[in-house]
Amino acid sequence: MEKHSRRKFLQLGAAGIGLGMAFLWDKLTLRNNHILSQKQHTFPFNKNKEVTFLHDYIIVNKDGKTEVFSSHCTHLGCVINKEENGRLVCPCHGSRYNLEGVPVKGPAYKPLEKFTATISKDGDHINIKS
Amino acid sequence: MKTDNWHLKLKTTYGALALALFSFVIISGILLAIPFNVEKPYNSISTMVVMNPWASYIRNFHYWSSQFFLIFSLLHLYDHYHKKSQIGLKKGMAFRLSLGVLIIFLAMLTGFLLKGDADSIQARQILFTLSERIPLFGNLIAFSLLGKEGSYQLIYVHHIATFTVFIAIIIIEHSKKFWPKAGDFVMVFLGLAVLSYLFTAPLHDNLNPSVKGPWYFVGFQEILHWLSHPEWSLMLILFLLLLVYITNTEKGKAMFFSKRTLLVLTGVYLILTLIGLFFRGENWQWENPGQSNYNYNVLSNFKTERVDFFPDFTQKQLLETPTVLGRKESCLVCHNNAHGFVQSHNPETIGCFSCHGGNPFATDKEQAHHNMRLIPGNMDNAAQSCGTAQCHPNITQRVPTSLMDNLSGMISVDRYVFGEQDSPNTITEVSQLGHSAADEHLKNLCIRCHLGNPKTETGPVTEASRGGGCLACHLTYQPNALHAWEKHKKISSDTAYLQQHAEISLNVTSNHCFGCHSRSARISTSYEGWTETLMDAKKMPDSSNYRLIEGSRVFKYAGQDVHHKLRMECIDCHNSYELMGDGTRYAHEEDQENVQCIDCHFSGKPDLTAAKNLDDESAKIAALRFGNVEGREMLTTHKKNHPLINTWYKDDTAFLITKNTKKVFAMKAPAAVCTRGEAHKDVSCSACHSGWAPTCIGCHNSYDPNEEGYNMLTNKMQKGSWVEYTGTYQAQLPSLGMRITKDKKEVIPVIPGMILSIDKSNFTKRKHDSLLFRRLFAPIAPHTTTAEGRSCKSCHNNPDALGYGSGTLTYMIKGGKGIWKFDPYYANSQHDNLPEDAWIGFLQTRTGMVSTRTNVKPFTVKEQQKILLVGACLTCHNANSKVMKESLIDFQKVLKIRSPKCILPDWHRE
Repeated sequence: MEKHSRRKFLQLGAAGIGLGMAFLWDKLTLRNNHILSQKQHTFPFNKNKEVTFLHDYIIVNKDGKTEVFSSHCTHLGCVINKEENGRLVCPCHGSRYNLEGVPVKGPAYKPLEKFTATISKDGDHINIKS
Repeated sequence: MKTDNWHLKLKTTYGALALALFSFVIISGILLAIPFNVEKPYNSISTMVVMNPWASYIRNFHYWSSQFFLIFSLLHLYDHYHKKSQIGLKKGMAFRLSLGVLIIFLAMLTGFLLKGDADSIQARQILFTLSERIPLFGNLIAFSLLGKEGSYQLIYVHHIATFTVFIAIIIIEHSKKFWPKAGDFVMVFLGLAVLSYLFTAPLHDNLNPSVKGPWYFVGFQEILHWLSHPEWSLMLILFLLLLVYITNTEKGKAMFFSKRTLLVLTGVYLILTLIGLFFRGENWQWENPGQSNYNYNVLSNFKTERVDFFPDFTQKQLLETPTVLGRKESCLVCHNNAHGFVQSHNPETIGCFSCHGGNPFATDKEQAHHNMRLIPGNMDNAAQSCGTAQCHPNITQRVPTSLMDNLSGMISVDRYVFGEQDSPNTITEVSQLGHSAADEHLKNLCIRCHLGNPKTETGPVTEASRGGGCLACHLTYQPNALHAWEKHKKISSDTAYLQQHAEISLNVTSNHCFGCHSRSARISTSYEGWTETLMDAKKMPDSSNYRLIEGSRVFKYAGQDVHHKLRMECIDCHNSYELMGDGTRYAHEEDQENVQCIDCHFSGKPDLTAAKNLDDESAKIAALRFGNVEGREMLTTHKKNHPLINTWYKDDTAFLITKNTKKVFAMKAPAAVCTRGEAHKDVSCSACHSGWAPTCIGCHNSYDPNEEGYNMLTNKMQKGSWVEYTGTYQAQLPSLGMRITKDKKEVIPVIPGMILSIDKSNFTKRKHDSLLFRRLFAPIAPHTTTAEGRSCKSCHNNPDALGYGSGTLTYMIKGGKGIWKFDPYYANSQHDNLPEDAWIGFLQTRTGMVSTRTNVKPFTVKEQQKILLVGACLTCHNANSKVMKESLIDFQKVLKIRSPKCILPDWHRE
């Protein structure tokens, strides 16, 4: 009986420490991570440039429409930083997307993440929410 | 058995060596922490490589000790498995050791990430994404491992503390050793000392588009390349760790199976690593050794230099140089006072390496100039210099679609004329030239003029220049640079030219175009008013009416283009999309050309675009050339709706500003005769407004196996060559023909471009290859524009214009009947019984292979009759008479009310 209680105490203690560590870990990382993931940035905007590469975003102006995509390849997150013959090309594993963000060559199979963006009244700036 | 004895003798499983290496990892890591700046990792590493050889040496020491620690740790593991029938570790220890394998890799990877270069940035993204995809705790693990985006703090902490401490603990726990043996220590030290001196640890130059992980990761990168769901690779890692654990703890079949599986997987991984290292390049595309740019795309990771403890410059000198693209570039220490650049190419902004390559992290001249491009911008290196992702990638991708680079039209027409292909419209390129008669003919006589022909010597673009990639147009030697370069050519020890760099800019003049375009259709020379003669240079009269080009070609003045008279240059009409390609491959130049006369000389309202709507390239060029163009309404081309950035429309007037000299002109509308009625609606502007065009007839081509010729593709002499025997050169009003497209029929100027014979028998060595005779006219844009159009009679009463060739065309009235009569100047050819310079017979026509285009044809008999009908009127009536003017509006009406004295031609010839 006595033995059982001690074991239970140790088990509970270990679980408590574990939970405490998880709580602490969560406070140190996830919350921070969550806040960081809420991004809203304003950049200079040129509606006449077909493809603009910013660090995290790709702005595509085509057929009078502006779309903002994540510059991170949906395969493994590499930063896409170049366009070749109307295709957005990932340098790490060669995935290619069309200017609608749809993959046309693997390994990526998911389209690029699309973000909401608003263009300032004077047309000189773009505000991207991600 | 032999192996076992060897092991007994050696008495090592490489663990001791791994321990010694680990000690050096720790020691060198602590030392490296002094110069390393975690806030600017790439900058701090590049600075230590180029400025601080001892810091660079320590970095190499850290790098090589860690790489060999990984290798010997794995060998240690392998050796244990190989030597012992069972490991039999306790579960706790086995678990920690198995986990240790993963931790060693993570310690290595975090070290790789701490370079902060292009490779590291992408590797970090991959690691983050993979961690993120671990079920349930993915986000937590990813953030805990890599920290905030853009910050290297947590990675650094894990690298120097978390993982290192863990590795230290498991080493000590399982080996019970703190210190390596003195012998191992010394041996490892010596090995590392030499390696660290000879081979600098890798650092990406951030321009090369090839992105790879560390050598032990490229096999994994290859696996990831094949996985659309890369998260499955995590299962593979888990499976491998499980196999290690089972091998460490289990006995019998389970252990045997695990060991064998590990062995097989290791073998497979080694193969994948070799593939990743030696067969993958830009965008992870497969590259074979020997492929062009293989060295650049694949082997660049192996580019490494020894440490130079006595650099060619002091630390102070390097500190005074600017930071370029986030790093220190040692080129700027020596080349620190160069002038002549436009702002966007200032080396303080883009450095030297961006264009010239070499080694930006070198510490002496020899290292710096290794693999350097003295002349960047040639098409074979344009993607690595002018076209890198940060500069002009879209343009260098487009240029190969330009006919100036691929020469598709020239090649296809030549093959068509030689009877090697059925159509002159096949799209091809210089690299597809083979060894047929036509292709060898092109190599011997034509294809020096393409952008892909490399510029191999420094110096300005002259009338003798051919090709040169981007430099063909964008290289300008300003007077200072030219003077310094000329001085260096005379006295090679004079190095002042290094301070006077040639300008790479938008300052493209007609002289840049002249070298190539003074050949073939000769539009450059024609534009300036010069027509080529067959005169011997030594006999050239000392007169301003004659001009010597390239030392041997004698030209005679025949009248300049009205735009040249106004000092307009080629680029004042032709824009970047025409010259550098617009991404579409065209069969012929007229398809690629975009600007037409009517774009500037229009009647009514023009098509306009506001400056704020310019595409990015046009907007940049407009800003660089003209500053602020805000508010301008610019003309656009009818053909492809491209903006003409040096024009604007204001108060019902169109203006043009010359791009280089900034002269402004108000542009004139077409004359009334051009637009009056519908009589000339199908006549192109150049059909009337071309003052003259160069012609050549009676040309003969044959192959001479003994002729010392020149191969323009390889730029080398060769025995055996095609030889061209030219006939007669003339400058005269162009003939006219019809271009028939799906949208319209248009009267255009044509010239007897290819009335020639070809003797292939010596080339093919086949007797049945009889002499080829061609009578082909070619469409031409003469570039000899006159303000006033040619006279009515010069078309309607002119045998040359109609395609009959030169001679006398007479309208006679005999017995109340009007008859046209033609007496040719040249005798009939033995090949086809037509006058030497004719396109068609008098009041006849030809079909089939008649021109160098499939859509350009001579006038039909009916069309000739229509033209000659007006010609008959012009024999009596003055072109400016009222009746002739009225005829432009309604010719049929004028015919109906004609006087009985007016006798029309009778086409029913006897």
